[in-house]
Amino acid sequence: MNAEISGHGLGASRWIGKRVPRKEDPRLLTGRGQFVDDVVLPGMLHVAFARSPVACGRIISIDREAAQQMPGVHAVLTAADIAARPIRMLSFFFTEAEIAIAPLADGHVSYLGEPVALVVAESRAMAEDAAALVEIACEEGQPIVSIAQARTGAPIHPGMDSNIAAEIGDEEIDEELEQRLAASALRIRQKVVHQRISQAPMETRGVIASRDGPEELTLWITCQSPHLVARWVSLALDLPDSAIRVIAKDVGGAFGLKNHPWKEECAVIVAALLLGKPLKWIEDRYEALTASNQAREAEMTLEAGFDAEGRLTGSHGIYDCNNGAFPQGADSNIAVHMFVWAAYRQPAYAFVSRGWYTNTNGLAAYRGPWAMESLVRETLLDKAGRRLGIDPVEIRRRNLVYLADQPATSSMGIPLEDITPGECLEKLLQHFDMAQFRREQAKARSEGRYLGVGIAAYVEPTGSAGSMAPMTGELAQVRIEPTGKVTATMSTHSQGHGTATTMAQCIADRLGVRYEDVTVFEGDSSRGGFGPGAAGSRQGVIAGGAAIRCSELLADKVRTVAAHLLNASPDSVVLSDGMVHVEGAPEMTRPLSEIAAIAYGEPDRLPPDLETGLEMQFRYQPPPMTFTSAAHLAIVEVDAETGFVTILRWISSEDCGTVINPAVVEGQISGGLAQAIGMVLLEDMPYDAHGNPLAATFKDYLLPGIGDVPVFEFVHANTPSRTIGGMRGVGEGGAIIGPPTLVNAIADALSPFGEIEELVLPLTPARILDVIEQRDVSGTSKANSPVAETPVTLSPEPVPAEDVVQGVSAAGPAGDWDMVLKTPMGPQAMQAHFDVEGSALRGYLAAPEGRQEFRGGIVEGNRLRFDLKVEKPMKITLKYDLEVSGDAIAGKCKMGMFGSAKVTGKRAP
Amino acid sequence: MSWRAGPSRRSIALKPAPFDYVRPASVREACGILAEAGGGATVIAGGQTLMPLLNLRMSQPFILVDIAGIEDIQGVSAVPGGLRVGAMTRQADGLTDALLAARLPAMVMALEHVGHHQTRNRGTVGGSIALGEPAAEMPATAVALGATMEIASLRGIRQVAAADFYLGPYMTALEPDELLTGVIYPHWPEGHLILFREVARRPGDFALLGMTGAAVLENGAVARIGLAWFGMGPTPIRMVQAENALLGQALTDIDPDVVARLAVADAAPFNDHHVSAEYRRTVGHRIFRRTLREAFGLKEAA
Repeated sequence: MNAEISGHGLGASRWIGKRVPRKEDPRLLTGRGQFVDDVVLPGMLHVAFARSPVACGRIISIDREAAQQMPGVHAVLTAADIAARPIRMLSFFFTEAEIAIAPLADGHVSYLGEPVALVVAESRAMAEDAAALVEIACEEGQPIVSIAQARTGAPIHPGMDSNIAAEIGDEEIDEELEQRLAASALRIRQKVVHQRISQAPMETRGVIASRDGPEELTLWITCQSPHLVARWVSLALDLPDSAIRVIAKDVGGAFGLKNHPWKEECAVIVAALLLGKPLKWIEDRYEALTASNQAREAEMTLEAGFDAEGRLTGSHGIYDCNNGAFPQGADSNIAVHMFVWAAYRQPAYAFVSRGWYTNTNGLAAYRGPWAMESLVRETLLDKAGRRLGIDPVEIRRRNLVYLADQPATSSMGIPLEDITPGECLEKLLQHFDMAQFRREQAKARSEGRYLGVGIAAYVEPTGSAGSMAPMTGELAQVRIEPTGKVTATMSTHSQGHGTATTMAQCIADRLGVRYEDVTVFEGDSSRGGFGPGAAGSRQGVIAGGAAIRCSELLADKVRTVAAHLLNASPDSVVLSDGMVHVEGAPEMTRPLSEIAAIAYGEPDRLPPDLETGLEMQFRYQPPPMTFTSAAHLAIVEVDAETGFVTILRWISSEDCGTVINPAVVEGQISGGLAQAIGMVLLEDMPYDAHGNPLAATFKDYLLPGIGDVPVFEFVHANTPSRTIGGMRGVGEGGAIIGPPTLVNAIADALSPFGEIEELVLPLTPARILDVIEQRDVSGTSKANSPVAETPVTLSPEPVPAEDVVQGVSAAGPAGDWDMVLKTPMGPQAMQAHFDVEGSALRGYLAAPEGRQEFRGGIVEGNRLRFDLKVEKPMKITLKYDLEVSGDAIAGKCKMGMFGSAKVTGKRAP
Repeated sequence: MSWRAGPSRRSIALKPAPFDYVRPASVREACGILAEAGGGATVIAGGQTLMPLLNLRMSQPFILVDIAGIEDIQGVSAVPGGLRVGAMTRQADGLTDALLAARLPAMVMALEHVGHHQTRNRGTVGGSIALGEPAAEMPATAVALGATMEIASLRGIRQVAAADFYLGPYMTALEPDELLTGVIYPHWPEGHLILFREVARRPGDFALLGMTGAAVLENGAVARIGLAWFGMGPTPIRMVQAENALLGQALTDIDPDVVARLAVADAAPFNDHHVSAEYRRTVGHRIFRRTLREAFGLKEAA
């Protein structure tokens, strides 16, 4: 008919790749968004918490008499009261913690601000008035605040033998790696001390819990996926999914903090079930900064060897992170090591990684939780380059994995097929004249002005699916209504991501309708199917693929119906702008609404046996992981007088495959970069020695403002991924690659004065003057010296009697055992069965996911060794090495390149 | 006018702890309330500091005395020997005031750095002065320029020199029954030099440190000088040694580096979680030296 119509049965109008206005914006920009605090239910009561005044101690008494007598107060509940409705506080992976976690402190408190009592009153102010009257008497202990104190101090949790929350890897560098490092022309260490960060979403945490009927529950909760919260709460309360409905229409940012409910939200949910009244709790900003979970406090030392040409020879990493008292999943952050060298030709890498319990707020996720890997690696590369006299671009060129090098496998066993960090870097350099900049830099230095350029490259695993319980595929349900308008219900959820926009673009593009005619519904667990929402840069990749394929399937149905009605061949039917055309017969053009009305209302006119209506659903299971790559460049000026940093220019060159909406992609990157700037220069959540969080308001917790963020320049590479649609995730990248880019630029500017020897964040003006002055202006090295870190020793709390081995049985290894393997995703409980014949060992390990037999193991006295091959989350051979002593069993499980994980257990009763 | 916040708390989404609210129409009425309250009352002017503190329950007064309705503490007027700025004068109004612009540009320069555009619309000169935040511009500028505080109570009106007004962080010479009604800035001759520099992470942030003041030159020598630090100690700090070293000196005889050392010696900087005392001393020295050089047109030392 005409050239506008393509051969794929779709018109020329493309919606994927367009900067269309966001569907969410008219509502949000005119103050009509629906956040939790906008929801008001009849008879709703308000909650405030009485919180622990100390960071650790035994609760002697809780006096709630005065609070209960306040007018308007309905209830004052403590741990003992809410224990009437048990709730299991699970991790993001739905696993149970090895420590006891309850919504309200039970018997002892473990961080300052831990909720102790929940007050229910007719207004928030009344609830706060009453909460202030709850008297909590504590026998205060000496808190463990820092990682250094956690190493040497007594365990903060009763029944634990140390403060190690999670650990993996091997302490000693093996001989082969040691030889590689020893033989290197340059052996260099980079240490990063990362400060603690508050996720600080604009909408603080909040929940309304309403019991409908005996055990039905409706929650309005600010979260990252209503589906995930419904599943989590269902498991936590042992209620069927069908009894729980979770609604979150608009969410004002989450960044990992709101993956699932935690102490306060759980307390409100349980209280609502017990009291039978709708309860609302909205976290105020003071609570958000001092009582919410937090992130990022970690230290990493990365050692690497280089040959004389600057090529990597081997590397070893040591990582420790502060898990706080009650992390949302104990974490040693294995991903740091998985990805630290993934984009580089690194022949050998080994590591040890630990998470530590302390008397501080718990650890929750934060955009790019493993971001330390890029920060420590990229700053190390620049340092090595300066030492070897190799330019930062050149040292990366010599080590990055380019497309021409692929397929390849990283030193941690990750298959690389289409990563493009090197190509992103080359593309970036086409937009920046490095030689010209070096001339400007030299001229500026002669005038006492200090300019610096920073470069960083990285890859990021996105769109993960199929290897971890919550990380599933995504569901699209698309229908053409009888009116011809298109509605879709997606498993996606937006905390500002604009998924209602991008998903509508995917659907309009593949259905041949106008973007304006597509409406996307999400944000309610009673709509659509399970998806973990915004976690792991996944929605554009997986849900985008689901929306595309679902729309294609639906378009096929439209073509079938139209061909039948118009007596044409389905191949000649073209959908375009909401019209149905037949190639070569313009007079047969019909609006989609006409076809839709017939599809629903006149079954006799449809092809025989065809389902009526125009509705389709598709759940997309993508490849297990899709890599995004990027290279960034920043130019800064450092004021040598004050140590202030000004960002002059920032270029992002990223490859997120198919770009659904450039404005949304650039918005995601910009937001991540703003947070990166905050982490490098401004944000800090310190604690004093008593465990007091010191940044209780935004006067002290400095968030980046618009004036701190430059106008970013974007270069998009578009290497389609292997997913449907070819997208790659872009949600977290800015927060990962931003910090090393900025630090490298500052380090380059400071290079005439010296190195930033140990990178302690944030790089405050005082810490920058440390380098310029070559003396301790900031007091940082004094504060970090061993003298200041007084080790704290406590008499451990008595171990509950049931955990004490009561007498030693004479039985050997044979028989049944209850064991726990501390995996990177949390402790995994399993039952073991061992059969011993002489020195031969066979048996099985059984977990809820299934049972696996093994044979060919060896018994030597009380020592057991056996191998088990597993497929999930990766193909790997687990090598167990256990020691039985009486009725206890303990040892290690070596998990290939992941290092070793601890195993503990006892004889099954 | 008075209403009790308590009984209405059922229906209104209030955040602060309960308080009585009164809005007196005159200074005398306000002072009467303050005297009666015996220390339980807090004065609210623009509320830009107090409102967040009330909502955070860091401040829990029994009575909130709103002085916004008192007419004779608003605006700028000429008085014998100088200018009187009424305590309730909004900062934004001060910035557009013709008298201040013509006669006290050193004060206007400091005022431009107070908070943000939005907070200056409600924030008042007197509010900032009476709060006594050690890192704030208005208290230090009052000290530097030699201002006098006009203080009213039922016992009468008294005047206190700005230099004697600040006792510690957020601690002033105001008694619980007293109200700051105005700030009287002495006359500074036309053409006085402004010595102002603030080191803040971002515009509108609290200063890490800063200096403020004015100087008058006659016949190539310093005829009058008033200088003070902010963010360099528990109170605004008058740079007495530096002033003495400069007064009467010919510009040609001034060594900015030496005077800067004296200026820093007057200060008592502190560590906080933003920067260290040593940073404040180091950068204080540099900004003083540079500001002095620029204001006096001195050449860089060879």
